[in-house]
Amino acid sequence: MLNFDEIFVTRNYFGKPVRRNADTRFVKGEGSYVDDLQMDCVYAGYVRSPHAHARLGKIDTSKAEALKGVLAVMTGPEVAAVTQPVGARAITRPARQHVMATGKVRYVGEPVVIVVAEDRYILEDALDLVEVEYEPLPVVVELDDAMKEGAPLIFEEAGSNVLLHDTLTHGDIEGAFRQADVVVKEQFRVQRYSSTPLETWAIIAKHDKGTDSYVVWANDQQPGRSIVNISNALGIPVNKLRLIVPDSGGGFGIKLALWPYVVSQCLVARKVNKPVKWIQTRREHLLAGTHTPDCIVDLELALKKDGKVLGLRMKDRQNDGSFVHTAGIYNLIKFANIVGCYDIKATRAEMMSIVTNKAPTVQNRGVGKPVMIFTLERLMHRAALQLGLDPAEIRLRNFVQPEQMPHTTPSGEIYESGNYPECLRKALSQVGYKELKGQQATLRKQGTYIGVGLSASIEPGTSNLGYYYTSRGTPEYMGNAEGAIVSMDYDGNVNVLLGSVEEGQGHQTAVSQVVADMLAITPDRVTMNSQMDSLISPFLGHSGCYANRFNDVDMGAVIMATKKVRDKVLKIAAHKLGVTEGELRLRAGAVCSATDEGKSVSFKDIATLAYKQILLLPAGMEPGLKEVAYYKNEIAKLPNKENFNVQMTHGNSLHAVVVEVDVETGMIRFRKYVIVHDCGRQINPGIVDGMAIGSTVHGIGAVLLEEFLYDENGQILTTSFVDYMKPLAVGLPRFELSHVESPCPTSLLGTKAVGEGGAIGSLAAIANAVEDALTPFGVKVTSLPITPEKVLRAIRETKVI
Amino acid sequence: MHTIRVKINGKDYEDEVEPRLLLVHYLRDKVHLTGTHVGCDTGNCGACTIFLNGKPVKSCNMLAVQANGAELTTIEGLARDGLHPIQNAFLDKFAIQCGYCTPGMVLSALALLQSNPKPTEDEIREAIEGNICMCTGYQQIVDAITHAADLMGQSRS
Repeated sequence: MLNFDEIFVTRNYFGKPVRRNADTRFVKGEGSYVDDLQMDCVYAGYVRSPHAHARLGKIDTSKAEALKGVLAVMTGPEVAAVTQPVGARAITRPARQHVMATGKVRYVGEPVVIVVAEDRYILEDALDLVEVEYEPLPVVVELDDAMKEGAPLIFEEAGSNVLLHDTLTHGDIEGAFRQADVVVKEQFRVQRYSSTPLETWAIIAKHDKGTDSYVVWANDQQPGRSIVNISNALGIPVNKLRLIVPDSGGGFGIKLALWPYVVSQCLVARKVNKPVKWIQTRREHLLAGTHTPDCIVDLELALKKDGKVLGLRMKDRQNDGSFVHTAGIYNLIKFANIVGCYDIKATRAEMMSIVTNKAPTVQNRGVGKPVMIFTLERLMHRAALQLGLDPAEIRLRNFVQPEQMPHTTPSGEIYESGNYPECLRKALSQVGYKELKGQQATLRKQGTYIGVGLSASIEPGTSNLGYYYTSRGTPEYMGNAEGAIVSMDYDGNVNVLLGSVEEGQGHQTAVSQVVADMLAITPDRVTMNSQMDSLISPFLGHSGCYANRFNDVDMGAVIMATKKVRDKVLKIAAHKLGVTEGELRLRAGAVCSATDEGKSVSFKDIATLAYKQILLLPAGMEPGLKEVAYYKNEIAKLPNKENFNVQMTHGNSLHAVVVEVDVETGMIRFRKYVIVHDCGRQINPGIVDGMAIGSTVHGIGAVLLEEFLYDENGQILTTSFVDYMKPLAVGLPRFELSHVESPCPTSLLGTKAVGEGGAIGSLAAIANAVEDALTPFGVKVTSLPITPEKVLRAIRETKVI
Repeated sequence: MHTIRVKINGKDYEDEVEPRLLLVHYLRDKVHLTGTHVGCDTGNCGACTIFLNGKPVKSCNMLAVQANGAELTTIEGLARDGLHPIQNAFLDKFAIQCGYCTPGMVLSALALLQSNPKPTEDEIREAIEGNICMCTGYQQIVDAITHAADLMGQSRS
């Protein structure tokens, strides 16, 4: 592996809060999102099921087709007849599903008919004219109902609503519970929520008659995989599909699942011979544009009296709604992070992915880790109280210590770096932990209820994609990697092409900082493609923006390709100047002799040799200055149930929160919010801070506000931001964010996961703080969200939130 | 169809529109000013914020015909040359991530700073309560607006 010191020639930009000048277009309203692309488009939309579960009867599209301005109509059964079913990744039972409803509908909002019209308004009229007969079937909404004997089946061919049921045991779990002095357990329920990117799903699909091929513009988060899924579903070779991802208005995982819609768009684009645009409405997004699964998690800790955790058992029942492609993924990621920041030697995880008549689920920020850390950190808080220990102390006694790194968890996850005790100590001092505990008693006497909550969370990055298949044979994708093309142009400026996409994390600026310091130039001489184009971008099946992988494999690919360019530049310069490469230095866009600065050749002159005066190049050297590199993280293991790693870098954070609960109104107010974050080395602290705080606010939404509610008929009740409440600027604390830096030894830059941490750690920290505040009332927090209504009911009657 | 006449970013327009056409769709699809975004359809998110006769409005909650005779400013009309101090401040303070809420956020900030050139943090948070940002958690946006107030104060003095 390339040594950190070998990467950089200068250190002028790496690690500095370099302004995101590459994104100036955003402040000017000149971003180029899918709906902004100027093309002569017609508009597509979907008739969606009003029933949660029903057999599809006759579909009459004649009135819609007769409307002036309507160009094409295709029903779900017609789409299913010409497409392959959706592939499943993690589940083990057979479940057949197509990109649109056929035979029956399985959730409210499932697409039943696609209509294309000349404009958005005619389209809405046409959708109203489609008549669909439904024969309602018994509905399964909640987990408890789905598992009942004789429950209606969502997928009859599966023979059960439990599509994945697996138990993984690592270490001596029976021994751990036998030797325990105390067992602490609880059942937790976590609701459905979502990070709801502000730009909804957006697709333009175009069919080219001459070549019988498709061009698709979509805000897809994982184009490397989507291009395979789409072409498989359409039954075409991948070379008949070009996928372009322009600017994307946030993703958070939610845009990993829009590809089924691309399939139906391609089919209608073929019919109308014009680019077809679909812009999902917010209602559609909240209705069916994917959620996190709701779940019931039973967790048990086996502890010694001194607080040492010997073992942990989990039973995880997850309501994956009705999308076979992603069902079971959250279970497996929860399991992979089951020990959190702790040195726990034995674990058992029983995992069940259960289908119901709720909307599809897809990877949302943190994917399972928010729930895993919520349940684990709630129980650590409980265990401390039960054993008469301080919640900080019990954590210190169980942390994996910095000197244990690299540390392998019972299932094989390798924690390569981290200093968990240091993060906790720093957070305690910053929040004023001891003083707060003192104040708490005094304030309670005055009728003010404050609580302090801690949460230590692991923040993994760079998925080893093979983990999806621990339940079933050889992975179709494994490990993780990215590709980059770096070129120096005629002017000696540098252009970077990544196989990946971005969702707003400032990748262009981060890349320009690193490349600038590798070549001793300024970042404004480095440009990077702002859109992924499968025709020219060096993508892999892994390519995309997910799993905190950018500063590991994406940067790795950029660095390796830049290094190749640099090596070639030095060779050309040595030849030109008549010196050895070892004597050369890079300085301000030129290569010069270390001993004789008069001997110098600019990048522009080197480019002239490489592209134009090619007869003056060293003998045998290829012309041009464009290099491609693919970079994979080397620590991925081949998955097997005994020993596998799901993630390859491990950041962590410590949240320390002080809340005040108004026991008259049930309102929760933040008094202080401290985050200590360790993501290893930072490329750009300004970007890192935004990620850490932004993701924490996603967690706050999940803890206090957001919930997709369903009635007993499977009707979703929260389909606008009036009912589904997002955090606003008012009501949030001023976050006090600081960092500990434990460089990651397995990524080229020492960087590790950034961006999901807050969404993972905040849930438990706030819940612990609320429970602490409500100690005088004996209220326990076992479910989310913690709404004022639930707080009041718990104080007055139930004692349980 | 109705004829509407509007002035957008200093330029006159006359167009035939359906009475049901939303103002935001008029701006985006007819005038091709795509900096005004749609994020929620219900007036909650503020991504479609523009100025109408000097006051901020949510253009997804208005019909194009209601704007007849009005003077509109969209994000594209904020700075004639270079960047407005608020735009610079957003870049300085990392107040952008995906950029989708940014035009609406910048215009809400402008509305605030026009009426209150030196707002407190609480006043800033209240002023952008009608704008949802899914990425930043708002803190860097609040800092950017404070910074913009300073920059604009300096340029006045």
